Amino acid sequence: MSQSRQINVSKTGVPTIAIIALAVIFAAGLFVVGFDQGHIFSIAFGEQAFDEMFIHELTHDMRHAAGFPCH
Amino acid sequence: MSLGVNSMKTSLFLIIVLISGAFAGFIHGSANLALVEPYLDAAIGIENQNLISSGEQEDTLEFWVEYEGYRQWQKGGQLLAGVILGTSVGALFGIVFALSRNSLPGNNDLKKSLILAGIMWFTIFLVPFLKYPVNPPTVGDAETVALRGILYLSLIAISGFSAVGFYKLSKIFKGNKKLISLIGYSVFISVVIVAMPDNPDEVTSPMELVNGFRIMSVLAMSTFWVSIGFILGLLWNKFNPNQQVTSLN
Repeated sequence: MSQSRQINVSKTGVPTIAIIALAVIFAAGLFVVGFDQGHIFSIAFGEQAFDEMFIHELTHDMRHAAGFPCH
Repeated sequence: MSLGVNSMKTSLFLIIVLISGAFAGFIHGSANLALVEPYLDAAIGIENQNLISSGEQEDTLEFWVEYEGYRQWQKGGQLLAGVILGTSVGALFGIVFALSRNSLPGNNDLKKSLILAGIMWFTIFLVPFLKYPVNPPTVGDAETVALRGILYLSLIAISGFSAVGFYKLSKIFKGNKKLISLIGYSVFISVVIVAMPDNPDEVTSPMELVNGFRIMSVLAMSTFWVSIGFILGLLWNKFNPNQQVTSLN
């Protein structure tokens, strides 16, 4: 007669895929809030994006408050 | 009898980390709106007066309507930018917490998470702040923005990676000798702070405004680190993504 039981196992290993995903999110978020000067929207709107700086203006106050050089 | 063990619950781990970061970022953005925003308004007011008195800008109704429009856009952006930055820094916090959890002091995940938040607040926020403190609008030459960005990021990276390095070094020592690593980090980062170039831009705004802005931004940033430590620790304690139900046959 077979018997099935369950136990809880605490794992210490962190999945590599999770670390990669979080590292990408970290880098992308940091660039958007701290450093974009029109670069991201220039992919779609070209040079005009560098004049309008849509994301720069959106993140302007947070940039100053969080210590990123703004202008 | 076989024992099947899978890896950490990846999806649950990611969700917990991202939610913690987003919530803490929202709190940070809200704290900025309450604490930092009055100083930003005052600094931008000085900027506008300088533009008008120098003749670069005419004092017209059209100018003020346009100004109010984009200021509302910038203020509204505080919360969204807070969520984005919080999710981003929270992702880094999640990586470090997952990798260092077993080494962190504390008998539960909340304490461990708060301790790590304190360490990261010190190493990647306060130390860079001491060399390159935040500045309100009116301070900063557009031509040096790239240089200032590189310097600021470099100091964050040097401080963060050296803290990890000295922590690894501390594992070699036992007992009170572990303090050697702490002293080593303190000496190393002090030398780096002195050696790195100063902010190239002169502060021309009233120091009362600049200092008030700096104090409030430190308080607001600190709410982020307390929040991320608290929220991630609570969620980790509750959902335990590193615990796997395993079948024994």
